[in-house]
Amino acid sequence: MTLKEPVVHKAGRFDRGAAGEVDPITTEVVRHALNSAANQMKRALVRTAFSPIIYEVLDFAVAIYDDKVRLLAQAPSLPLFMGTLNFCIAEAVRNAGGPEALEPGDALIYNWPFGTGSHPQDVAIIMPVFHDDDELIGYTAIKGHWLDIAAKDPYCTDTTDVFQEGTIFPGVKIYKRGELNDDIFRMVLANSRVPDMVRGDLDAQVTGCRVGARGFREVVERFGLETCRSAVENMFDHGEAVVRSYFDKIPDGRYVGHGEMDDDGISDASIPFEVALEISGSDVRIDFSAAPEARQGPVNSPLPSTISASRVAITMLAGYGEAPHEGHFRPIEVVTRPGSMFDPLPPAPSFLYAWPALQAIEVIYNAIAKALPEAVPAQSGGCIGSVVWWGTREATGEAWADGAPHPMGQGAWHDGDGGTMLHISESATRFTPVEVWEQRNPWLVERMALATDSGGAGRHRGGAGIDFEFRMLEDTYITSIFERSKNAPWGLEGGRQGRPNNAIVIMPDGTEHRVAKATRFLVPKDGVVRLMTGGGGGYGAPSERPVERVRSDLDDGYVSDAFARTHYPHAFD
Amino acid sequence: MATRIGVDIGGTFTDLVYFDEAQGRSFVGKVPTVPDAPEEGVIDAITRHVPRSVIGDARFFLHGTTVGLNALLERRGAKIGLIATEGFRDVLEIRRGDRAEMYNLFWRQTRPLVPRRLRLEVGGRIMADGSERTPVDPRSVEAAARTFMEEGVDSVAVSLINAYANPAHELEVERLMREAGFKGGISLSHRISREYREYERTSTTAIDAFVRARMSSYLRRLEGRLQALGFAGTCLITRSGSGSMSFAEAEDRPFETIMSGPVGGAQGAGEIAKALDIDTLITADVGGTSFDTALILNGQPQVLYEGMIDNMPIQTSWVDVRSIGSGGGSIAHVDVGKLMRVGPKSAGASPGPAAYGKGGVVPTTTDAAAYLGMLGPGDLASGIHLDLGKAEAAIAPVAEAIGKDIEHTASGIMRISSAAMANAIREISVDQGLDPRGMTLLPFGGAGPLMACLLADELAMRRIVVPPFAGNFSAWGLLGADMVQSAALTRIMDFVPASVPAIDAVVGELFETIEARNTAHATDAIRTVNLDLRYKGQEHWLTVEVELDGMAIAEPIEAIRARFVDEYTQTFGKTMNESVELVSVRASTTLPLPRRDIGERPQPVASTPREPLEAHSFSLKRRVPFRIVEREAIAEPVAGPAIVIEATTTTYLDAGWTARIGAIGEMILERD
Repeated sequence: MTLKEPVVHKAGRFDRGAAGEVDPITTEVVRHALNSAANQMKRALVRTAFSPIIYEVLDFAVAIYDDKVRLLAQAPSLPLFMGTLNFCIAEAVRNAGGPEALEPGDALIYNWPFGTGSHPQDVAIIMPVFHDDDELIGYTAIKGHWLDIAAKDPYCTDTTDVFQEGTIFPGVKIYKRGELNDDIFRMVLANSRVPDMVRGDLDAQVTGCRVGARGFREVVERFGLETCRSAVENMFDHGEAVVRSYFDKIPDGRYVGHGEMDDDGISDASIPFEVALEISGSDVRIDFSAAPEARQGPVNSPLPSTISASRVAITMLAGYGEAPHEGHFRPIEVVTRPGSMFDPLPPAPSFLYAWPALQAIEVIYNAIAKALPEAVPAQSGGCIGSVVWWGTREATGEAWADGAPHPMGQGAWHDGDGGTMLHISESATRFTPVEVWEQRNPWLVERMALATDSGGAGRHRGGAGIDFEFRMLEDTYITSIFERSKNAPWGLEGGRQGRPNNAIVIMPDGTEHRVAKATRFLVPKDGVVRLMTGGGGGYGAPSERPVERVRSDLDDGYVSDAFARTHYPHAFD
Repeated sequence: MATRIGVDIGGTFTDLVYFDEAQGRSFVGKVPTVPDAPEEGVIDAITRHVPRSVIGDARFFLHGTTVGLNALLERRGAKIGLIATEGFRDVLEIRRGDRAEMYNLFWRQTRPLVPRRLRLEVGGRIMADGSERTPVDPRSVEAAARTFMEEGVDSVAVSLINAYANPAHELEVERLMREAGFKGGISLSHRISREYREYERTSTTAIDAFVRARMSSYLRRLEGRLQALGFAGTCLITRSGSGSMSFAEAEDRPFETIMSGPVGGAQGAGEIAKALDIDTLITADVGGTSFDTALILNGQPQVLYEGMIDNMPIQTSWVDVRSIGSGGGSIAHVDVGKLMRVGPKSAGASPGPAAYGKGGVVPTTTDAAAYLGMLGPGDLASGIHLDLGKAEAAIAPVAEAIGKDIEHTASGIMRISSAAMANAIREISVDQGLDPRGMTLLPFGGAGPLMACLLADELAMRRIVVPPFAGNFSAWGLLGADMVQSAALTRIMDFVPASVPAIDAVVGELFETIEARNTAHATDAIRTVNLDLRYKGQEHWLTVEVELDGMAIAEPIEAIRARFVDEYTQTFGKTMNESVELVSVRASTTLPLPRRDIGERPQPVASTPREPLEAHSFSLKRRVPFRIVEREAIAEPVAGPAIVIEATTTTYLDAGWTARIGAIGEMILERD
């Protein structure tokens, strides 16, 4: 595949509707109401979903868009998904024959990776919303992760084209005028290893979209369509101003951040890449054009995901803690080269799209650190640390599957030590309690403990990584992805590195296998899966860490005596 | 109809309501809260407002307090240690990996109640099905006990993996700790909660160990002071999950009181709903810093089973009262994008709103209401006189920043506040699949009746009931708190007829647990059982009440299942799913207090007419004359615009609304 010339993408849509006069107070009231509708949508989804990936891991995004496919409101969910829904809607609607072909009660199903930005397991349900049953006023959309939709394996690290990655639904009507389209529905179920879960989650997504559509319609009825539209324009202008006011503070210039993927899942070669950040006034351009060619293995991030990562990185920093909408994205431009790892073209594999994208978020922070280090934290463990597990229960012959990300150390920053949490790209996600896991899956968790000496030393130290040990009580297959296992998380301003990620399987006979990236690895009964999640990088020189903090860390066992003597000799004078 | 005294301690005021059987009516009082010694405020309120003879006659003292909560929030509790299963001492720190503020890159997790050096591990393992894999290692327990004694630990939480399924190891650890000479408090997780999820259960157990000593000494001090005043009845404290428990029971299970702050109001709302036969009621409790709302269905507040305090989960039943940081003290400001926002920062009790003249200079919701004339002539119950000039001066800079005049800005502050409150109401109703439009709004608290018409208009609700004693309603609600005990157990199984014996066995076990705590609950109590049911494969459940015959389920599984399906369909819509499973069994017993009379419609008292006041009407979008009416003088329906004043609150009646007094003295507001 060859690289094409760089293309500049606007991350936020600028086209405006007829912005009539509406006062700032009505704008704020409408903003509240739209966010509330999105939150109701999320609650309906979480409470009716079947797979733990949805209700526990929150591996989904819910949002409400207007008729120009501009983001009005979204509920807290998976950040990396949240910035991709506009692409899903635009592509699905286009494929289905355009807005004219949509009727009240329709719902589209769409999962083409180059339009969703994801792998085919991430399936979007899109529902058009009509005012007075005849005027299209926008869409509600939910993209959620299904446990299986017929990839070569339930989860893959070694695909070589998109068609090995799952069944594609290119924007077809799963509901038509409120009636289930049974032909499509049966196709969906026939293409999953866990049809019951998929049926439950599809149902939950449709329920969520309906709840959101009802909430959205009510907002429009309450304020009137014209007032609503004007308020929305003001809301966008406001979000744009908020983000611009942040970048005004960062000196103009071009700053380059460096990242590296361990490998592409097919060969062992590491993949260094860089992302440049250009700041000019309050405009931000995120330049991926130096990215390498699309990889042979599935570590390619389709364009929607690359743009989403850029949106997440910027709005987390500059959005003042608010839920982003279209306006927040307007100061951002993204540059990619079609055919590259950050803008692959069909049929490039992209099953592991999330890993380059989520690393890119921290690489953007790495670039910002060169302009203003106190604006960002040092690197975290740098991965979401995913394992997908499946098998057949011995007693019943039932198929089972589960999957989860794992928390890791977070980077220290100018005003604090790093904590231990899930990666920022999954900042609202919770991982499953051990007792729920043991109730559900044939395994015994033997250990879940903070790892001594895993966080980088510094004036502020990085958060600790975690050691997990799972003993299998029945034969189990796993697919695991622990990126950044060859490169340690970086520190900032003299702070030291944290420990990198790793994952190994210890067979019953004691032999060990590294499974940082492995597909369909059989862990036999009594084998142990050991996950070692990374520690965060430190911030500031370790010699500046107050002696009492070093002592306290020693008493609490966050650091060992040997580690403390090496990195904080001043505490032993 | 026994005489009883209720005292509710709030952040600013300690509210009192007592019911005197001899006179057949209730009385109210209010004194400032004493933060360092809350019992002093309680005693002050009683000695000032309750006659000696009534104190002597009273059979019950009912108490609502945030002593336990404050001890937790301010970290003024015991020095505690934790015993965990080997490999799991970091459960409290690892949590569930999430961030409470998802868009905050720098969010800090709450520091665990137990520092890592005092989180110790013991060998031994119970499996998810309750079987033992490895026995408790006695040497590891002895070593832990020694460490705790050397470190001067007051109290220890013991929370072992899968203890919900089999408590044997926790009991063994307790025995070994005592044998090793540890004399401090020991909280065993399975006695706190028999529900799964180790982080949540461990967090609850640590909270219990942390607040136990402080709660116990507070309750003993207070009981002693009450007895010294001549009180000889039973002392009760509200439970987070509604109802009340004796002080002795609260000493034993202090974590059950932690989230009881807003319970009095929700419970009182339930009593009003029953008295007036209102199916669906929404409460709107507006205080200085927060807005609390609860849904009351068929006279019952909704109960949830896992709460969160300061980002620490707590596995206990609690009345589902949604709280947002929006109240009379919420501050209006202009953000970096030049849009006006209200809250969540609050001016609090000190300096308070600018109009209070206590040094506040930033504009609050109260300042906006005062400026607009919504609070009437300007004398508040607490003796504060409103300074409209100061309110105007505080609003002016915000008005200038958004380019609007003061009137427009002030009304905007009210609209933004009510929009945020209305969203909380909308979400709590939509969660149950209900539409707020058909419901009745029950406003109370110092500023609830002020906001009621705005909220109702925002939500298209047509009916508001301002209850008697609206300003002291939480304390009034306490007076109806029956004595309740509860217990729950997670036992996942298919919900099919063949499971009935197993479910009945769990029910029996739970009632034995409850009755062992207090024998009175064995004889006279009303028993209820709720089942957490879900579609197999789902994680979230709905709680369904079942009919009992003694200690066994008295109705066929199919009937219970049908109720679950109905409720599910109402809440979430139709589903394609089939198999239902049981998650947890919840048992509770209720010992009702003697009924009290809510009262009858009081005779209107005479009053001298007052000058009308120019105030802002939101429905007419301009200032118009508002009549000033005393609530106790209302005989005929009052058409808005009017301001209705009473001792402890002010009701803003916008144009288009009419107020009348109903059968039990409630004030009914209806839209024309």
